[in-house]
Amino acid sequence: MKKLPVLALVLLTPLALNLRVVQAGQAQPDQNWNLDQSTLTYHMSHPMHEVDGVSRAARGKGVCHAGECDFLIAAPVKSFDSGDSNRDLHMLQVTRGAQFPIVQVRFRLPQSALNSPTLDCDLEVQFAGNTAHYAHVTFHQVIDGSAHHIIGVVPATLTDFKIDPPTFLTIPIKNNIPVRVDMLWRPA
Amino acid sequence: MLSLAGLVLLFAYQPLSAQSTPSTDLASTALPNAPVPTGGSDALDLSTAVLLQQQPPAQNPAPGAGPSLGDLGLTPAETDGNAKQQALLDRRTHMLKLHQRWGLITVIPVAAACISSIGAPPEHGNYGNTASRDIHVGLGAAAVAMYAITASYAIRAPKVSNAPARGGIKWHKYLIYVHAPGMVLTPILGAMAFNQINSGQKVHGIASAHGAVAAVTAASYGAAIVAVSWPIHIKF
Repeated sequence: MKKLPVLALVLLTPLALNLRVVQAGQAQPDQNWNLDQSTLTYHMSHPMHEVDGVSRAARGKGVCHAGECDFLIAAPVKSFDSGDSNRDLHMLQVTRGAQFPIVQVRFRLPQSALNSPTLDCDLEVQFAGNTAHYAHVTFHQVIDGSAHHIIGVVPATLTDFKIDPPTFLTIPIKNNIPVRVDMLWRPA
Repeated sequence: MLSLAGLVLLFAYQPLSAQSTPSTDLASTALPNAPVPTGGSDALDLSTAVLLQQQPPAQNPAPGAGPSLGDLGLTPAETDGNAKQQALLDRRTHMLKLHQRWGLITVIPVAAACISSIGAPPEHGNYGNTASRDIHVGLGAAAVAMYAITASYAIRAPKVSNAPARGGIKWHKYLIYVHAPGMVLTPILGAMAFNQINSGQKVHGIASAHGAVAAVTAASYGAAIVAVSWPIHIKF
């Protein structure tokens, strides 16, 4: 009879271990995220002009696996609208938008951080045939049900992507082209 | 008793395993199969087994791979670059830059022709003094010639989009219908007026509209420059 507890222990140990695996899996299950709506706005400054170019054509997806989430956001360069078709075509030329038609942003977040009011992201941005990294870009998040509303600014510059600054009346535009990001994500 | 206890525990274990289907699936998909033992136990077989264990299953993406552009529904036609289209854009920009440069330089002879027009008409019936008139004619001719060069760059610039023009460029294009005919009419009317004055006549008929047509042309030309620069926010 003394052997019964030992046998029970032997049989229950794998059960207990299996339950722990199940619990760990349930804590951070694999999950996908979709970009539902977005507004990306670049700002360009010139002594004679202040211009905002807006794109609502971005697509995005997030894939969470093993507690880490990889996100990709992509928008066609030609989808940015500054309100002037000539300027937009010139922007397309300057940024080599026909040769590199998509601007891509990748970042990785711990799955446990997805519900935080602020998201600290290390961004990898591919644009105009070049890749730039922006560390610790802060985004603010408001969660409403399943909708995650995220806003922030990517501090992009022309030199990050080796873009020659366009000139007007021989005066070049400013190097800073911050991109304001306003996104609505939902779990798939 | 021992067998009975073992059976009870076994039954208790089985339903729980069946309920935890996700974990079972997870285990079956996320974990590789154990290497099948072979007869040999040499180092090569062992290393192969280790490699097999390290390889992630094909159906699961490697950690950190992340989504791709294809996952976003973007087709290769949308994501692949078009060097020919880029070359076309480059050529367009190059020609429009020249259009802008020549257009701005042309402001000088246009303005000078307008200013010199003050001395062009004969004063007090003195039809013999032609120097100021000749200067005006020369500046007007230079303005028209440079305007033609300016226009040629815009006309020859490749068209890369059939979308309707929006913003300041739309007004810039509308104003062509004013200053382009004006740039043709102004020298014709000017030549008529010049001939009438040289023959000792007072400027009359349609030639008397030379000044008005020139003024409208110059004004619309200036407006076209402002329009393509609009909206202007001076900020240094």
